[in-house]
Amino acid sequence: MERLGVFLCTGCGIGDALKAEGLTALADELGAASCQTSPCLCAPEAVADIRAALESGTIGGALLAACSARAKTEAFAFDPARHVVGRVSLREQVVWSHPAGDEDTQTLAEDLLRMGYARLSKIGLAKPLAETIERTVLVVGGGLAGLTAARTAADLGHPVVVVEKAAALGGSLAAVEGLVPDRPPYDSLHDNHLPRLVAELSSHAEVRIFASSTVKAITGQPGQFHVELATPAGEVTLAAGAIVQATGSRPYDASKLGHLGYGSSPNVITAPELDAMLAGGGLKRPSDGAVPQRVVFIQCAGSRDPEHLPYCSADCCSATLRQVATIHRAHPDVETAVVYRDMRTPGQLERFYLAVQEQPGSLFTRGEVAGVSGNGHLQVALRDTLLGEGTVLDADLVVLAVGLVPNSADGEAIRIHTDAVKRSQTGESEIQREEARKVAAQYAVYQGTEILNLDYRQGPDLPTLRYGFPDSHFICFPYETRRTGIYAAGTVHAPMDAGQAEEDGAGAAMKAVQCIVAAARGEAVHPRAGDIGIPDFFLQRCTQCKRCTEECPFGTLNEDAKGTPQLNALRCRRCGICMGACPERIISFPDYSVDAVASMIKAMSVPEESEEKPRILALLCENDALPALDIAAGQRMSWNPWVRVIPIRCLGSTNIVWIADSLSRGIDGVILIGCKSGDDYQCHYVRGSQLAQTRLGNVQETLQRLALEPERIRVVELAHDESARIPKILDEFAATIEKIGPNPMKGF
Amino acid sequence: MAANSTLLPSQDFREALRRRGGEAASRCYQCATCSGVCELAPDEAPFPRRLMLWAQWGLADRLAADPAVWLCHQCNDCTVHCPRDAKPGDVVQVIRALVIEKLAFPSLLGRLVGAARSSWLLLLGLPIAFWVALLAATGHLAVPAGLPQNWAYEQLVPHLFIYSVFFPVAAWVILAAGVSGWRFWDLLACNGSRQGSFIVSLWPVLGEIATHKRFGICGTAKPRQLGHLTLMWGFVGAAVTSGLLIVGIYLQHLAMPLALSHPYKILGNLSMVLLLIGVALLVGNRLGDAKVAGASNGFDTFFLGVVVLVVLTGTAVELTRLMGDASLGLTLYVVHLGVVTSLFLTFPYSKFAHMLYRTLALVHVRMTGMDAKLS
Repeated sequence: MERLGVFLCTGCGIGDALKAEGLTALADELGAASCQTSPCLCAPEAVADIRAALESGTIGGALLAACSARAKTEAFAFDPARHVVGRVSLREQVVWSHPAGDEDTQTLAEDLLRMGYARLSKIGLAKPLAETIERTVLVVGGGLAGLTAARTAADLGHPVVVVEKAAALGGSLAAVEGLVPDRPPYDSLHDNHLPRLVAELSSHAEVRIFASSTVKAITGQPGQFHVELATPAGEVTLAAGAIVQATGSRPYDASKLGHLGYGSSPNVITAPELDAMLAGGGLKRPSDGAVPQRVVFIQCAGSRDPEHLPYCSADCCSATLRQVATIHRAHPDVETAVVYRDMRTPGQLERFYLAVQEQPGSLFTRGEVAGVSGNGHLQVALRDTLLGEGTVLDADLVVLAVGLVPNSADGEAIRIHTDAVKRSQTGESEIQREEARKVAAQYAVYQGTEILNLDYRQGPDLPTLRYGFPDSHFICFPYETRRTGIYAAGTVHAPMDAGQAEEDGAGAAMKAVQCIVAAARGEAVHPRAGDIGIPDFFLQRCTQCKRCTEECPFGTLNEDAKGTPQLNALRCRRCGICMGACPERIISFPDYSVDAVASMIKAMSVPEESEEKPRILALLCENDALPALDIAAGQRMSWNPWVRVIPIRCLGSTNIVWIADSLSRGIDGVILIGCKSGDDYQCHYVRGSQLAQTRLGNVQETLQRLALEPERIRVVELAHDESARIPKILDEFAATIEKIGPNPMKGF
Repeated sequence: MAANSTLLPSQDFREALRRRGGEAASRCYQCATCSGVCELAPDEAPFPRRLMLWAQWGLADRLAADPAVWLCHQCNDCTVHCPRDAKPGDVVQVIRALVIEKLAFPSLLGRLVGAARSSWLLLLGLPIAFWVALLAATGHLAVPAGLPQNWAYEQLVPHLFIYSVFFPVAAWVILAAGVSGWRFWDLLACNGSRQGSFIVSLWPVLGEIATHKRFGICGTAKPRQLGHLTLMWGFVGAAVTSGLLIVGIYLQHLAMPLALSHPYKILGNLSMVLLLIGVALLVGNRLGDAKVAGASNGFDTFFLGVVVLVVLTGTAVELTRLMGDASLGLTLYVVHLGVVTSLFLTFPYSKFAHMLYRTLALVHVRMTGMDAKLS
């Protein structure tokens, strides 16, 4: 953008700490079309002046040298499709965090103005997408979570399509008599509302239900999914705007639990088998059909056990409480004993636990089950009990509270298998084909496990995390998956109990609706909600290296036959990881590009070696690190004045050329601060900080080859709440750089 | 107890516990806050968590053999701090009642007194009716003519009657309590090996009881400790007075009634004052915060009720004599004799038996060195 107007705010202490005339002189020097100073730039009159200048065309863009871009967002809300507006954080990054009137402080402010000006001159207007958006929500799976999602979406006025593999809706809880209470006083079973919900949805005008059906294929992108279903009546095609996957879970395979007596006696059954028994004829001992005198429940049967399910299913404790309550209701004389490792009853479930514990004839006892013996009449041997000794419990019926295994498909593994099969036929050499055959054999178990059958280059289903759950970071990003517009809900999403699954279904439906609404406006969803800029690929220069299609965390890009990326803009989250990956630097956003950041780096003043003032570039992730810096500034913490901060969308969007440019310009050190990577990642784009670690690791090796100190580059992980750490990190890095000495490339 | 034995959670005991007011035991999730806050629990064998667990399982035999049941003075520190409102203080109180019932001889009487909530009228009414019948049959149910101004109760009910009832009653009570005590002492032997002689250990225990030293360690129950101490010494004083009166009547040939200034009379009246104060403190405590005082179930209320009746009728009997109303005096005296008989007869089966069991448990604990806290 050309003919930029600079608007300098002198409020919030900026005018007191800095020489405003120095900054206005600099603006003139930079070639600004105008430069105005305001004692309060966010005041309505001042904002009206900016708007008037932009509307009249006297300036092509506005650079607001005031507070952080994260502050005063409502006052400075300009339509990115009509106006190019940039912000320079003089308040947070300069006057709140550095001594007033200091020479270094003034230099810092001037540098930030130069950098902001350089960026603004390199960015342009966003061109919003205007696509036809389908409002239908597709729900895959008709259990408690799926049906709750369907009702929620329908209540929000969206057409809903429910696809259920089984002949009847309702899922695993359909025939259960009572459910765990979900409202005060939380002390007794509630009637199962699932049959009512099924009936309600079956006659709902906006809801179409396909039972005994599966998803054959899904192509397209959020707002424009094209869905093919295999139904008893033949193939059905339809359009959907967003998808909720609520495919539930299956009980852990009890045949692997021989040590708990399963298979050796008919009177050892699983919790789902007990549900079926209670629903179909009542409590009976399978061996002789008599009502058992004592039922022993074994919790964590195969769960939290590295040999079986390493995780807690979060459902078995509440399911057992529900079953014990159901048994006591029908048979007050039957004794129940629950052997647990710990009862996990979060939230109000604790009250239900207490109520069940208080039932006459109910015993809850901690212990490890050493074994179950006997055939008709059973003995449950316990060890590590609270009694301080091993003991044996007599039982007529033993119920194993088995954990849940998600009904998910590992999209990435399926893709590895498909690719390997293909390579085993088309590979260039016999060695390659042989290798591919080995991989194909290793991944053969994934063949035919597809659920959503997505036409995505990165695989036909949602990528999964540990244990096969297609979850994301559940605290930072609840309901998110790694496919935009597709939300997992219920026990397929994460271990949870029935009450949580219901909430999860409602939450996923709201996310689905939100995604459709955003798509209709051409806006990105979480975390850059509202961003209308979409990436531009200058494909003439593409070398089909496929790094962008492989590294996009959201499977945004498909490939044509040659491997050229094909953009599905509505899948895009605008993280810029493709931009960071591209060696040809052909991917840009209207307001964020390799060139724009490189220009900022070029605009920085770099002191001569003789000045003994190092220059440090800090690339800060806008999600956690930049807010943390703003908070630190708000608390008037201070950091080294040699540091120049450039906010970036994600560490993963860092293009290596920025590092090369910085070092060749004589900048002495580059620090990148982003979110946590690894299994418990907090990266808002899942793998951005992981990718940055790998890429920067390679750069450090290169530096060593060039006889430059690898310590000049540092990657730091930081969480949102670690604001107190960030000044220390910057100061320590500055001290390290000072110790290493000036960049030998200075002056070249 | 051998490892890996089959434990059958006793449904009977658990039901009895529920019925008698210990239903909160099932709420316990074994966090051990109770054991942590208990000032009386020995470091090496903390309670009441253990007792709560056994109560949940219904392990009646273990509870009966555990001295910890009696180390507890129900200060209710545990109940106040219990995060789950499982009321360990009340539960252990019910456990004590159930142990008394379990070890009772004959067991029928144990069950009868154990069910005091419904049998209290019988337990009180029968002795009173007995006295009425006895006096009616011997023609003593009316005030004799020509009673002097300064009459004594002996002139209404001859002492012979009292001896011929209370000596056999005392003999029976000693026998019944002896059997129960022996059973208990035998059970306690499962828990630790005893060293030294019973008598040698008994003396310090009696000293401890005399000062209520252990009771005093209890945090929440300070007011109850004072009430109990006063009441106990009131009873001791009354018992000593009774003994002195026998000496006075038969050896010193003192004329009844004694003057108010007589040392024996002073001792008796002092005891009466102590008893009144003790009763007032204990009843007042019961009427206060239930969590601090402990729940009042039928078994507890019966014993306290009998004690209150004994003290109040006794006081009233003396006051009526001083007022000179022989007719009212006789009526009150008959009731007084009835409730005292009830108190004595129910001793091995009512809460009164704690005197026996707690003393034995304390001696056992001292002999096994289980509790170094107070030695």
